[in-house]
Amino acid sequence: MNMDYVWGDVRALLPVTETEFPLLFSEMVEPSTLTILELARKELYSELESSACADSAQVIIDYSWEKINTGTWRDVEKEWRRVYSYGCLFKVVGMCHGDPSQAKIQEAIRTCDMGLLMGASILDNILQRLVGVLKNKVKQGVLSKVDSDQPYPKVKKLKKNCLPEPIINTKLSVPRVHRPALESFRLGFLLPEKPVILEGVIDHWPALREHHWSIDYLRAVAGCRTVPVELGSRYTDEDWSQKLLTVNEFIDHYIMGKGVDGMGYLAQHQLFDQVPELKEDIRIPDYCCLGEGDDDDIMINAWFGPEQTVSPLHQDPQQNFLAQVIGRKYIRLYNPEETENLYPHQSHLLSNTSQVDVENPDVVQFPDFLKASYQECVLQPGDILFIPKQHWHYIRSLELSFSVSFWWS
Amino acid sequence: MSWFGFGFNGFGQICLKPKDECDKRGNTKVLTPVPLQNVCSCDSSGNDDVDKTTLNPKDNSEKTRQEIKVVASWSRRASIHINGDRCVCVSGVDSASGEECFGPIPESEGCEDAVISERCLILRFPDRVECWSWKRTGKALAWSGVQDRTTPTNTSPDVTFPLVPGGYVATQIPFFRPLSPRLHAVSLILGTEHAVLLTASGTIYTWGSGSHGQLGHGSLTSEDEPRALEALWGVPMKYVAAGGWHSACISAGGDLYMWGWNESGQIGLPSKGVNEESQKVESPGRGMLTISKKEDGDSSNVFISIQAFPALVDVPEVSEISKVSCGSRHTVVITSTGDLYTWGWGQYGQLGHGSECSSDEPKIVEYFSSGGMTVEDVVCGLWNTFVCAVPRKCSP
Repeated sequence: MNMDYVWGDVRALLPVTETEFPLLFSEMVEPSTLTILELARKELYSELESSACADSAQVIIDYSWEKINTGTWRDVEKEWRRVYSYGCLFKVVGMCHGDPSQAKIQEAIRTCDMGLLMGASILDNILQRLVGVLKNKVKQGVLSKVDSDQPYPKVKKLKKNCLPEPIINTKLSVPRVHRPALESFRLGFLLPEKPVILEGVIDHWPALREHHWSIDYLRAVAGCRTVPVELGSRYTDEDWSQKLLTVNEFIDHYIMGKGVDGMGYLAQHQLFDQVPELKEDIRIPDYCCLGEGDDDDIMINAWFGPEQTVSPLHQDPQQNFLAQVIGRKYIRLYNPEETENLYPHQSHLLSNTSQVDVENPDVVQFPDFLKASYQECVLQPGDILFIPKQHWHYIRSLELSFSVSFWWS
Repeated sequence: MSWFGFGFNGFGQICLKPKDECDKRGNTKVLTPVPLQNVCSCDSSGNDDVDKTTLNPKDNSEKTRQEIKVVASWSRRASIHINGDRCVCVSGVDSASGEECFGPIPESEGCEDAVISERCLILRFPDRVECWSWKRTGKALAWSGVQDRTTPTNTSPDVTFPLVPGGYVATQIPFFRPLSPRLHAVSLILGTEHAVLLTASGTIYTWGSGSHGQLGHGSLTSEDEPRALEALWGVPMKYVAAGGWHSACISAGGDLYMWGWNESGQIGLPSKGVNEESQKVESPGRGMLTISKKEDGDSSNVFISIQAFPALVDVPEVSEISKVSCGSRHTVVITSTGDLYTWGWGQYGQLGHGSECSSDEPKIVEYFSSGGMTVEDVVCGLWNTFVCAVPRKCSP
């Protein structure tokens, strides 16, 4: 592949002339910011200074980043997210000018992802379209350290305090139903809010068939993309944190690695909005049509991690279909009626999370926990678990696992 | 007495960009202090004998001091010429033309003090306060309030702007906000979304957003009304500062206390971001993120993201701090011996160490200490720093 075409291909996505490139913002955006935005645009369209726009771009990114961090996340004016995305766009264009190195292209893709993760859509989703171009300019394998010919890795980890394989009490196990009719699902499980495992519903997903989500496939489709990764065993831990890594880096360190970097979990991330190719590999379950919202209202999250990732016992406000694509997961479910036996955290931020370590409960501190009745299961690849809204759930991966959750109402 | 500036210069607010178009790039960041040329275009040097104003009543002995005060916003720097003409000169971008501008603001004639923000310029006159908003189409008077100095509550000459009789002036609507006279406020610093207030008795009050621990009450909740900082109860304070998401105060004995967000090490405590940034610099190539390996038992790996209570900040080999100012994500202090220390975010050179590195440890700014200068005043803009220094007196 001739790398000389990087600039040409990037340039082709931009409006042809400066006058066709709109910079329209509400009063929220101060005139001084607009001055820098216009300077960056001018630099972009002046052949001599196309690379200079990266400097102005960084100013735009830094300033809008501070604005985005002002006030609470959901109250931040969308205008500042748009400014942030323009900053990312100018930076990417500046980096791709001339003859960019592989590292520069990687950095450009990372910058697009920052815009997609923190910004708002601009110019007909130009950042997504830029990634589409730049992805093809990355030489495969150059940037991923660990390359295995194994189609599917069976990585032995240095196991520390690993919990054993659970033994499911059949009396407590979640019922399994093979492709129930919509109406029987509605009457039997949705209306009475009863958990159930649906079999045979996702068999036709490309993710389980022609586009089997192997490590190599995920590297090929999304390896160079930047994603938020949760570090630490569980989100209730003191030392839990989040970090932005590329999918390749995540796989190298936390999937293929020997565990020296600790636990990493690509959890609760809307990966399918970021990587449309992966969205093609999944389907929204038909049963979601029993809800009141449109397909666009359904929140789809990816959960990709090594064995022994733990989601502490918690509840969510929406109905959930948890689809298991790769690996097995142990899941414990408690009815909302048991809430008083589950000792939710006192703080508002964690009030939807139990203080109890489900598989190793402190019965002195939380004596009523053992009174709570529950259901449990091991979710297999190809299964979908219906978790009714407000049902408490605890999840532990038993091996390398990739799940997709659908939150719907 | 000279003023120096360093850090973000994207609008020419520290030094004007060269006219040569091709050379424009290197000038967005000023990494080491440079003297502010012609601090005011109306600067009339040799005017030393002109009557002193009320801003620094304690300093009557030295007539040349404090004739100019600097305030800064993200894109502009204003020099308040407080003797002689009494006016404000602004350096930075002109919103109407997009051109860099440099000159006196006619509307400011006769003013005593000023506050500048991204949206407006607030001027304090002997009898009134005016708020002029920067518009693309020029300046417009946004608000004007009569300042009644006869109100018995706030007559102390030590009370500093933006405190005004009965309350204070903010840079957003509503411009005038009342404060209880019972607070006996003497100094108020407005951060991005919070306020830090010092009372006559040395008590600190904070209010506004607490999202990053910047109020110091131990939580991340916000406060609508001024709330006393109980953690510092009984330790009288003499100086306060507020930045983007962090706060600082200095005790009567010269100890520095800080709280809030430590994202770039601005609190002076170990910061994960700064640590990772320095690792990235040390391992060049590949363009990959370096993942820090945890070494068990190594206390240097305990990072502070948010400091929700005031922490005593240790500046090595310094016994007494006299002044502090905070930028959006950096902190600058002057020691009792006239040295300047900086820490926090350094991407635009605002730390003055000649690099773009951030630091989570206070570091002395060599430019002044080895240049034989004593630092007397410091004012941070969001991403830059302005410093007033005089030649160091020889020890007797």
